[in-house]
Amino acid sequence: MSAQPNLLEKVIAFVDERVGLKTLQAKMLHEPVPGGSRWAYVFGSCLLFIFIMQVVTGILLMFYYVPSADHAYASTQYIIHEVDYGWFILSYHFWGSSAMVVMVFAHMSQVFLWGAYKSPREMIWLVGLALFGIVMAFGFTGYLLPWDQRAYWATTVGVEIMDKAPIVGDFLARFLKGGPTPGQMTLSRFFVIHVMILPAALMGLAGLHLFLFRKAGPAGPFRGTPDELKAKTDYFFPRQVWKDMVAMGAVFATICSLAFIEPVVLLEEATPDPGEYHPEPEWYFLFLFQLLRLKIFSGEFGQFLGGVAIPGAFMVLLAALPFIDRSPERNIFKRPVALVGWILIMTSILIFTVSAIINREFLD
Amino acid sequence: MQPKLKSKVRCTDREVGEVTRVIVDPLSLKISHIVVGGNGVGGAERQVPMSEVQSVTDDLVQLRTASGALAQFPPLKRDEYVTTHEVEIAHLEERLHVQPGEVLVPLPALERNVPRRTFFTNLTHAIGALVALPFAFPVLKYLMKPMYAPFDNRWLKVGNVNRIKAEDVGVQFKYKKIVKEAFMPEAEVDKNVWILKASPAVLEEVYKGKDMEFRDQAGRLVWTNKKDIPYVVFSGKCPHLGCGYKWRKVPKLGKEIFLCPCHLSIYEPSGKVLDGPAPRPLDPLPIRVDAAGNIQIIDIEFKAGTKAQTRIV
Repeated sequence: MSAQPNLLEKVIAFVDERVGLKTLQAKMLHEPVPGGSRWAYVFGSCLLFIFIMQVVTGILLMFYYVPSADHAYASTQYIIHEVDYGWFILSYHFWGSSAMVVMVFAHMSQVFLWGAYKSPREMIWLVGLALFGIVMAFGFTGYLLPWDQRAYWATTVGVEIMDKAPIVGDFLARFLKGGPTPGQMTLSRFFVIHVMILPAALMGLAGLHLFLFRKAGPAGPFRGTPDELKAKTDYFFPRQVWKDMVAMGAVFATICSLAFIEPVVLLEEATPDPGEYHPEPEWYFLFLFQLLRLKIFSGEFGQFLGGVAIPGAFMVLLAALPFIDRSPERNIFKRPVALVGWILIMTSILIFTVSAIINREFLD
Repeated sequence: MQPKLKSKVRCTDREVGEVTRVIVDPLSLKISHIVVGGNGVGGAERQVPMSEVQSVTDDLVQLRTASGALAQFPPLKRDEYVTTHEVEIAHLEERLHVQPGEVLVPLPALERNVPRRTFFTNLTHAIGALVALPFAFPVLKYLMKPMYAPFDNRWLKVGNVNRIKAEDVGVQFKYKKIVKEAFMPEAEVDKNVWILKASPAVLEEVYKGKDMEFRDQAGRLVWTNKKDIPYVVFSGKCPHLGCGYKWRKVPKLGKEIFLCPCHLSIYEPSGKVLDGPAPRPLDPLPIRVDAAGNIQIIDIEFKAGTKAQTRIV
């Protein structure tokens, strides 16, 4: 072997000198994970992966999609029925959005149960909550775009709920709809929000989220003495990266399978007449939808309570969590309030979602 | 105090060399070992745990061990370690003070005596504001352009009363409304209302003995529904959250009612809320029926979810 570097090595050395690639790579990969890599830590990476795939499929969809009231539906149908593999790209994007919501819940639950939101990681948690809001907003703005009946009614009802927010509600609802009723202006606005504003916001905040995470370092497990943790510590690369990659592969396979088994089917084109269709939001908003059917949330005030006040208060509570819960104890089995709270919220979301699904058959 | 690089290392009996490196624990961020090199350690660098360090001054590390016992400490195996440049450990740099003294970079000559530094900072903000503020109002107006459309009080034909066969039964009338939105060409939008021929009892419940007036934005009277005209038209929009409701036979109740499939509000034929979350009865609209039985309505929409009617279209 000659001591002379070959062309590839020269190119790498050239770039490295100017960019500092090797240091950067080392810094990225060599991060000690206290207590060692775990499957429980894969959710954040999976979210990043799903998001990147949503960007890719989203850009592909825009090659054919036209955001206008008279072409949105037809162009989406064209993507599904005419464009080669259009059905697959759209279905992947559709199921990817559901996967994103599932993964956000998993990620937040993991952080919550591990007590990883506690000092000094409060800022990571707060930025994470903003990201959660953005993911839900992605879902809400995204499913208007095909301009079918589901799109139209989910948006109509969703915006009416925002209208109930105090002081700014009416303005906000009109602003989003671009008028008093849903129409072309609504579609234009949701489109811009979905493909420009939210992605930019998500990229910026996800970057900040990662930066803050690296700044504070991983929290590690909630059990174990420093010596035990040290003995099990490894770097982000290769064991955690390996676990992340396996998880991403599983996520990809799942989304692809769902896209194959249950490809997107549009309902009738949107009109202000629902016909025989029973309006219903996407599954991840079903619990809220079902909540608003309850008698206690009837009337003007009840609606404000169920649609605005309770979800708002819940988000405020989540944001205040690291500042209320200041005990350094991270073991979930020694935090009974947190554990019971988590179980209660997850169970009620589940119960409301299931009862919304059961309710369907009574409507037909 | 942390041991400094290049500090002299002294055993209980004599000086043995200097601190050549320090080893940091990645979890506690504390120095776990010093590496001692020099003549006194026999050429090899030895890893001495911090527990063996008795005291640390600026340039001297005093060990508890005698120089003869130094050989018990393992020699440094360099390939079992990485440098701090090759690994990312949060807050490590700010906790390590192993360099003797400071590393300095000269302040550029032009920066040494800048008066009004605060002034320049504020000026930057002021210019930013000068750019942003005149922009804010146009942007707001730009985005608000379509938000407040004037009300449309045109009469629309929706069908003929001969479709209504029985009293107090909701009949859906679908009609096309021509809308012209912004830059878009005129388009027909499917809409629907529910009309019923009300029995005197139901009519009384709708009008409560009073004629019903409809007004425009300026508060001018547009139309009055006379309380004795038996045809009542309800807006197709559910007053709960704006879905489209239906006319359904409910076996449990043994009668037919209006049902909204969204949040399950149930209304009597008169529009009164029977059950469910709706905050107010169905919204009656202006209706007129000519001698031939043709029905015309004004397509009014009210804000959903409020107790009082707020007209938005």
